[in-house]
Amino acid sequence: MSTAIAVGVLVAAGTYLILQRGLVRIAFGFILLGHAVNLVLVASGGLQRRGAPFIGQRPTDEMADPLPQAFVLTAIVITFGITVYLLALARASVGSTEEQADEPSTGPATAPPADDAPPAAPGGNPGRDDRPPRGGAA
Amino acid sequence: MVALAAAVGREEGDAHDDRPVGVRAEPMILFGVLVGMGGLAAVVPVITRWLGRDTGYVLAAGFLALIGVLTPAVATVPDQDVIEAELPWLPIFGVTATVRLDGLSAVFVLLVLGVGALIMAYCPRYLSVGRHTRTYVLLTLFAAAMLGLVLAADLVLLFVFWELTTIASFFLIGGSGAHSARAATRALVITFGGGLALLAAVVLIIVETGTSYLPDILAQPELILDSPMIWPVGLLLVLAAFTKSAQLPFHAWLPGAMVAITPVSAYLHAATMVKAGIYLLMRFTPVYGGQVAWQAGLLIIGLATAIFGAALALRQHDLKALLAYSTVSQLGLLVAVTGVGTPHALTAAVAHTVAHALYKATLFMLVGIIDREAGSRDVRELSGLRRVMPVTAFLTALAALSMAGVPPMIGFVSKESLFQGLGEADVTSWAGPVAAGAGVAASILTFAYSVRIFRGAFAGPLMQRQLYEPHWQFLAPAAVPAVAGLVLGPGVAVLNPLTISAVLDMAPGVVVPPLVFWHGLSPELFLSAFTIAAGLLLFTVRGRMDRLLQAAPSTPEGMLFDRGFAGAHRLAGWLTRPGDARTPVSHLTGPVVGLVGLAVGALVAADRLPTPAPGTSRALDWPVLVLLVVATIGAALARRVLLALILLGLVGITVSAWFALAGAPDVALTLLLVEVLTAVAAVLAVRVMPDRFPAVPRRRSVVTAGLATVLGLVAAGGTLAFTGHRDRSRAGTYFLQFAEEETGGHNVVNTLLVGFRALDTLGETTVLGVAALGLVLLLRETARRDLPGDDPIVPGPPRQVSNRAVFQVTYRVLAPAMLTLSVYLFFRGHYAPGGGFIAALVAGIAVTFGWIAHGRVGGRVPIIRSLRAAPLVGGGLVLCLLVGLSASLRGEPFLTPTYTYLAGLPVSTSTLFDLGVYLVVLGLVVAVVDRLGGLGPAVAHRFTRPVEPANAGGAP
Repeated sequence: MSTAIAVGVLVAAGTYLILQRGLVRIAFGFILLGHAVNLVLVASGGLQRRGAPFIGQRPTDEMADPLPQAFVLTAIVITFGITVYLLALARASVGSTEEQADEPSTGPATAPPADDAPPAAPGGNPGRDDRPPRGGAA
Repeated sequence: MVALAAAVGREEGDAHDDRPVGVRAEPMILFGVLVGMGGLAAVVPVITRWLGRDTGYVLAAGFLALIGVLTPAVATVPDQDVIEAELPWLPIFGVTATVRLDGLSAVFVLLVLGVGALIMAYCPRYLSVGRHTRTYVLLTLFAAAMLGLVLAADLVLLFVFWELTTIASFFLIGGSGAHSARAATRALVITFGGGLALLAAVVLIIVETGTSYLPDILAQPELILDSPMIWPVGLLLVLAAFTKSAQLPFHAWLPGAMVAITPVSAYLHAATMVKAGIYLLMRFTPVYGGQVAWQAGLLIIGLATAIFGAALALRQHDLKALLAYSTVSQLGLLVAVTGVGTPHALTAAVAHTVAHALYKATLFMLVGIIDREAGSRDVRELSGLRRVMPVTAFLTALAALSMAGVPPMIGFVSKESLFQGLGEADVTSWAGPVAAGAGVAASILTFAYSVRIFRGAFAGPLMQRQLYEPHWQFLAPAAVPAVAGLVLGPGVAVLNPLTISAVLDMAPGVVVPPLVFWHGLSPELFLSAFTIAAGLLLFTVRGRMDRLLQAAPSTPEGMLFDRGFAGAHRLAGWLTRPGDARTPVSHLTGPVVGLVGLAVGALVAADRLPTPAPGTSRALDWPVLVLLVVATIGAALARRVLLALILLGLVGITVSAWFALAGAPDVALTLLLVEVLTAVAAVLAVRVMPDRFPAVPRRRSVVTAGLATVLGLVAAGGTLAFTGHRDRSRAGTYFLQFAEEETGGHNVVNTLLVGFRALDTLGETTVLGVAALGLVLLLRETARRDLPGDDPIVPGPPRQVSNRAVFQVTYRVLAPAMLTLSVYLFFRGHYAPGGGFIAALVAGIAVTFGWIAHGRVGGRVPIIRSLRAAPLVGGGLVLCLLVGLSASLRGEPFLTPTYTYLAGLPVSTSTLFDLGVYLVVLGLVVAVVDRLGGLGPAVAHRFTRPVEPANAGGAP
């Protein structure tokens, strides 16, 4: 029962995000859907037995089914690969027309790129380096 | 008599399943010729560098040399001595790459190589000064494909070469500029359509007869004739032949193909490729030749095409278009006479194939010369050229006379045998006379347009006085077949050994009439005389005739095809319109609604609500669940990117906790580590983006929320219905019992990953590798765009971390420890939570930490500093594959693990495999940090904008 609720909520939230605008939210939605599917997979092993499948630590009867766990391990890593690829796509499309259209008009980013026409060598201008990027505190 | 005796011997040989006694295995010659042709194509780019357009002479010499190589083999063909060679190809399907030279093949091989040599010798003076590598390569490749087609003794091989000739034709037609694209496409679609029919026929034949070896199939016609597939196969073969050989109603592509340069028209679209359809019909004559429906079909369509093509040819003003329709018409005659199938008719088919190739290639080359010299090939603009180009005029006259069937040309002999052959049609009692009459009618028109060619260009007053005879090098390639057509008329007996042998291949065991120049006062002679007389009459009333023909209603050539093609495009557009949208929403709505529909259907079918299985929930689940639900809903509704990210991390951690509760510590640990890395990647990716998500209209939010809720309910219901109601899977139980015994490991999940289900892991690792390389390539472009002329990998500055020194010190202490931990986790993975994934993720976190501290991969820690994504991914994948292949080398299935004891510890190939996985995963993390971490000036600009005015003057 608990699994079903968790799966339902994750699927609903993931679907909602995927149907929104912007690649980042689609990537986030994909992460949530990935969690949901992984929960279903592990649950398919039957949650009555919940012992970790390490031979010798407990009777075999108490051990969880190892097969779905192997599936999920594979799935997690693949989800990670796809997620970072989606994020890279989102990152790569920054500056493309679609993303620009999505940007709010008030951001500091709307200055024309010509402003930095002579690009400063990376790290070569300490005066520019003081401000943290967004999310840097995470 | 000799031929008859040989034929009888052959029939005996063919009647059994065994190969005939006369078959000699000669792998060197046959494959040598094919490889030689391919080799010629391969060296063309080198030769054109030296010789430019004169490369054609080298290729012509090469073609002649190949004829020389084949001559000894061809010389034995009249003794019914067949040579054959085979290579294993697709053993599972019983398909071998078998090539075979018999009489029929020999005729076509000589045509392909002989006409090919002439065309190649013609090219240098026809083409403009330049390299023309593309044309020469394609022409040579076409010749190779055509050779393969007529030599193939295996149906699958035949099909492959058939399609290759189509492809070569497509590129050669399309090579003459933008205006040729439409014609090339038309030719491609029509002939590919026929190719598909041939493929279907090949498949059906193999299914029905159980073999793809052509001689066996032809030797036992009853295998096809007695099967229910007799008419599907026959129809498909005819379809393939008719499209390739431009029969009604598929003829439209051939006149269109005349946009190609003249050598291409002469070689592919007159002499050889369009004969491939005839060749196919001839090949299958032993099977279908006796069938009335086959005979009737070929006769009707062939004769209709012959008359239709000839009438249209007479209408043309463009000499090349005239020749194209003439080719359509002559191909029609060939189809018809092949359909008759009597010895006379088959002899006529072979003879006319040769005669047509000789005069039509000549005429195309000469029209090309006229075009080059006079600047036009329109009969309304040309006049009196005989005064300035007498040799050209003479050669044209020779070829035109041959086409018109005037003695003593070879065209006369072949035309007479055509009449004789058509007269033998015995589909019904009146078929013979009617067929012969139709043949005569087409021939009268042929005579008329033959005269038209000569008269149009060479007769009348001279209008272009500045013209002169082309260089002999330009004329010589056309002169050779023109003169050959003259010599081979009286000397037609030279052809007899080959034609007889070819006919015996089509109709084993018959008495083949030899070709003779003078039949005596036979009915055919009178038909010939009548043809010539009527043709002359037609010539005298040409004015009225022209008006009649021009007034006849006509549709633009190929309109039928173009309409159908456009219709197919519209249909495809209509069918795929739902997928044509630009936004993910419109792509996903369909599947989402479909899923809901499926669930509703299942609910209705089951007629009860799903119930939870007993014992699947525990008390500890609920607090985790509450946290999960709150975090998930928060993540979905958050408007700020950062908040969503934090909540997403929380979701990951609670799911991880849930996995731990469910008895999956490996999964929990992996997910936890992945969450850390996902968070880092997401932060790196979104920091260059607005800090709020783009706004979505309220109504749309409500609709999607509703849809999402319904789908959530469906998922919950499905989970409830499908989990916990069964015992542990049999596979799972097996693994728990035997994992230790078979792999030496205690951690069953890990043994699954690297042992039992290593192929899954290999696939997954490949996906990761692709993602990593995709990342590297994708963001290299971005980095270049952002940072022209600088190293794109130069990462974002660590300057934003105010307490950077602390991070750097911590990193120097922690990084070695994390690497050590990573190694430890890797090695203990076989017995306890750990393994390649987890270990690599830990190392990846060390790499990420280094980026935070130093702004680049590695900072000052030696090992990490030298990590690069591509080598890691590539090396890891190669290692995984090598481990898999090492099992194959031991003779065991791919990826089967093995282990030995080293110093008392079990050492398994699985460990090496796991190392490959480790490297790929680490490569992905490095790629993420490297690429997403890159911070170009556009981004730097964003963060530094407020201080910019102060710095503006100081910028370099």
